Amino acid sequence: MEREAEWEPKLLSFCCRWCSYAGADLAGTSRKKYPANIRIIRVPCSGRVDPLFIIKALQLGFDGVLVSGCHPGDCHYQTGNYYARRRIAITKKFLEYMGVESQRIQASWVSASEGGKFAEVVSEMVKELKEVGPNQLFGDGK
Amino acid sequence: MEQKLRQEAKALLEQDKVDYIIGYEKGSLKFTTTPLITKDKNDVDRLVVNPLIVNNLSVFLTEIRGRIGIVAKGCDSRSIISLIQDNKVSREDVVIIGVPCSGIIDLCKVERLVGEERDELDDVTREGDKVAIVVDGRRREFPIEEVLFDNCLGCKFPTPQEYDVLLGEATSPVSEMTASRARIAELEGMSSQERWNFWKGEFNRCIRCYACRNVCPACFCERCFVEETEPQWVSPIPKWQDNLMFQVTRNIHVAGRCTDCGECERACPMNIPLRSMARKMYETVEELFHYEAGLDKAAPSLLTAYESVEAEDLIR
Repeated sequence: MEREAEWEPKLLSFCCRWCSYAGADLAGTSRKKYPANIRIIRVPCSGRVDPLFIIKALQLGFDGVLVSGCHPGDCHYQTGNYYARRRIAITKKFLEYMGVESQRIQASWVSASEGGKFAEVVSEMVKELKEVGPNQLFGDGK
Repeated sequence: MEQKLRQEAKALLEQDKVDYIIGYEKGSLKFTTTPLITKDKNDVDRLVVNPLIVNNLSVFLTEIRGRIGIVAKGCDSRSIISLIQDNKVSREDVVIIGVPCSGIIDLCKVERLVGEERDELDDVTREGDKVAIVVDGRRREFPIEEVLFDNCLGCKFPTPQEYDVLLGEATSPVSEMTASRARIAELEGMSSQERWNFWKGEFNRCIRCYACRNVCPACFCERCFVEETEPQWVSPIPKWQDNLMFQVTRNIHVAGRCTDCGECERACPMNIPLRSMARKMYETVEELFHYEAGLDKAAPSLLTAYESVEAEDLIR
């Protein structure tokens, strides 16, 4: 019980280099508060995120994965986020069927000017992950 | 039907319209059929068509070079269309000999139904919507739904969707989808914890022989992600964690290509209900993007296309 009280979710986020990563930066420079549970990996585009990255992150023990990219129509490469959307949607739905709680895999559109939204999304997701509890899907057999 | 197939196949080879014929011949085990791949026009007399032609032959299309005449059922023809969509096969290089299919008989179900091994059976024949099974000279009839493969029940596309020659006439679906997705419905009724434990148990048995991958026409990568070493995504030791991760990723890779032909489940030596994953992915794709694999050879494949507004409710 003591350990449970200490437990903090670990959240992995893939942020698009052009908007969400800059959005996260803006959240920092404008002193927005958001939980320190997040680890950010910068990717060139949300379209870079292979569904395999998401599954592997869960297998390695992350409690949740957040993929964040540009709003539809704003992709630096015109269409990368549209492809990402299809992939993430099927990954999320399919893993839900396999037995992964839906809160663990999330996606968001955050632009470079939405520092506030980034802080909000992360706070909400961390709150949801705390409700879901630790990721024990893969046990310790990574 | 068989005669017509042999004539067509022979003509294709004689007129040099194709280099190879891929079809089915009698297998070495009782009642079974096995793929026949030949260049020789004398071999075509071995070709058979019956309700036991189980394999999806389109898997060979990406392995054999040259012009190919191929026998295809409804689901197989859709796999071929999928391959054309992905530029893995060019339409001009294949002659599709379509077989209208009203379901394939699952010998394991026959065995369970009569309580005898297949070697003990004298005959299994299909008569309309009945199957006649003869054991020890005693003939018994059963409704055909009881012996067809799960994926054949409620099949929406029993007639080939693309063909050059169609043997026989177009057929209509057998039975309903309810029986076909019974296990999926059961799983959907469980909690996520229960579902995960179910799959954990199933993948504990997996020996990672990759039969499911090798038999799948949609799995055509020359180098599969499981064989990559830098980074090594999947450990070569068949632990359930890695087995499950492999199969989930494989299903995501074939999303929008999988036609629910059921070959993965049939190939599995450990009897893991792989079709309960494949079918679910098929339905997910249909529900989210109104897309069904292998219906339109001119359309882009699922993951190489997009609509400007879709699936927005899944994203914050």
